[in-house]
Amino acid sequence: MSLTTTPSGAEPTRARSGWHPAKLIQPFVLLAPAGIWLLLLLVFPTLLILELSLIPGFRLGQPAGAYGLGNYLEIFQPVYFQVVLRSLFFAVGSTLLCLLLGFPVAYWIAIKAPRRWRNLLLVSFILPLWTSSLLRAYAWITILRPSGLLNSLLGVFGLPGQDWLNRSPAVFIGMAYSFLPYMVLILYASLERLDRRLLEAAADLGATPQQSFWKITVPQTLPGIAAGGLLVFIASLGDFVVPELLGGASSMTVSRLIYNQFLGATRNWGFGSSLSMILILAVSIAIALLLKYGDRSSAQP
Amino acid sequence: MPPTNPQNFSVSATTRRRFLQASAAAVSGIVLSNCARNLSGSNAPGTASPEQTSSSPSDSTLRIFTWANYTDDELLKNFKDKTGIQAIVETFDSNEAMLTKMQTGAGKAYSIVFPSDYKVEEMIKMGMLLPLDKSRLKGTENLMQNWQNPGYDPDNTHSIPAVWGTTGLIFDPEKVSSEVKGWDYVWDNVDQLNRRLSMINDVREVFGATLRYLGYSYNSTKASEIEAAYEKLLELKPAIATFLTNGWEDQLASGDLALSMAYSQDALNLIQESPNLKYIVPESGSSLWTDTMVIPKTAPNPDAAYEWINFMLEPENSARLVERLKISTPNQAAYEKLSSDLQQNENLFPSKAVLAKCEGIVPLPSEVTELYDRYWTQLTST
Repeated sequence: MSLTTTPSGAEPTRARSGWHPAKLIQPFVLLAPAGIWLLLLLVFPTLLILELSLIPGFRLGQPAGAYGLGNYLEIFQPVYFQVVLRSLFFAVGSTLLCLLLGFPVAYWIAIKAPRRWRNLLLVSFILPLWTSSLLRAYAWITILRPSGLLNSLLGVFGLPGQDWLNRSPAVFIGMAYSFLPYMVLILYASLERLDRRLLEAAADLGATPQQSFWKITVPQTLPGIAAGGLLVFIASLGDFVVPELLGGASSMTVSRLIYNQFLGATRNWGFGSSLSMILILAVSIAIALLLKYGDRSSAQP
Repeated sequence: MPPTNPQNFSVSATTRRRFLQASAAAVSGIVLSNCARNLSGSNAPGTASPEQTSSSPSDSTLRIFTWANYTDDELLKNFKDKTGIQAIVETFDSNEAMLTKMQTGAGKAYSIVFPSDYKVEEMIKMGMLLPLDKSRLKGTENLMQNWQNPGYDPDNTHSIPAVWGTTGLIFDPEKVSSEVKGWDYVWDNVDQLNRRLSMINDVREVFGATLRYLGYSYNSTKASEIEAAYEKLLELKPAIATFLTNGWEDQLASGDLALSMAYSQDALNLIQESPNLKYIVPESGSSLWTDTMVIPKTAPNPDAAYEWINFMLEPENSARLVERLKISTPNQAAYEKLSSDLQQNENLFPSKAVLAKCEGIVPLPSEVTELYDRYWTQLTST
């Protein structure tokens, strides 16, 4: 109070430049709603998970034991290690698949498509995000099952039927379908800012389209590729629905394991919390990378 | 959610535990029970005993927490016509999810909950259930002999059985190479089944069935037996397409799956749509489950809960529900009101010989469930 009243009373000119009360209140007004939201629903629960993860074998409704690292040491058993590896395998594979599928689309929308159609095309790509992920997974069961839509279509063209449901390919398809829109949107933003004068200059100097694609387009959109890739990686690493419904009998992932610890028969919340902390850590590292390599993208003209 | 709820955590004086209690309670209060609080209207929060809350203003509504397909509009309408109480039904999909909701305080709007047998046992031990006042119940004498004094809740002191069933195999008899009588078929035809078998996504049911197949108890606690079951399941792995409790129905009906392990009620509902399918209880034995009605100690409206239990105990109401939803009733008087077609339906009411081979799932100590869980993770990740 004293800071705000005295200077404004004594020197009206300085008040406008530095000590106006609004300048102090403003950050609070702007940050408080989201800040409280994040504090109560993100920071605080995460700290609680951290604490639970440090109590070996903590179970709801049973006395808590002493602090220890037992929950974390348990993760190093080969069987859980395998689960972590499989999650990474699904996440990396889906990311690469999204990149392969998404880049040509984003390139076409950003560079080749008529300007007035661009927004409509982008919206149509985001449409799948409007339906529930559960519905999408069930739809994929109908499409991918041996007597399903995909094999009927392949049969029409005389191609051999595929048996993808309940195996890894189904997980890749399901995840790529879920997260492709993110990839396309980010790559589009990056490709749209591509400096086309460089492409023209390269063509003038005798570069083939292939050369200018690899030497100009790709390096310029690398931050976008990194950002899109990491975003898809993060989302697919924590995905629960797709591996659960499409992955079949051998598709235990970290997120399913966490679910089993909290809501399965053992209800070992301590171990589940340590797995959650590992997942949060992995995602945080991915986000840190995203921030580091995303910066350059925004710094570019 | 009050900061100290003895059901959630041990009452211990150390500061850390108190922080844990307070913080867990606060978080669950914020995150989980907001909806419940809004729904339960102006009820006093939490620990208030039923005597205090019975005079709460929500006498005309009853919130029920149950499995999908255990009630229908007609039942709720009849209940309203008879008692003037509006019943509102919300569903859960696993006992564990239900228990978590009740323990974290998010379930305190419910006056009637439908836990399964082994969960009743656990909830009684945790002190979460109101002992039933038998003088307020009418018609318990109609319960079948097996449910007069069930192992999970001797004398039905805290629970009244509502629905029961078995776990078994459902398949299209045209599409299997020989007659299926039980699990032998599955293990004898691993190569031929080649990822066309689905099993319930529940560690205890899958291991229990395998343990029974090997001649052990559904509820084995011996490490050597559990390991033997795991080894046996590994052999079966090439035949297993997926572990799904729900969601296999279309794949089975279209022939993409040859056999599915399923709860009898889900199987019966599918057979209504696809009469060519057949359900059996495996020869080697299976699990017999009972879903019950209980009144949690946190119930805001225990009076209405008693009305509900009495309504469900009326033979006429149970019998009509069996006809509409194809669920098995433990009520002998209701059974006698059924058509002989339904009475003789082996899927709804298996013979005594079949039932004799079935066991109920019982709660196991946490070291044992952890062992099961570790093998389960191993099984689903190799």
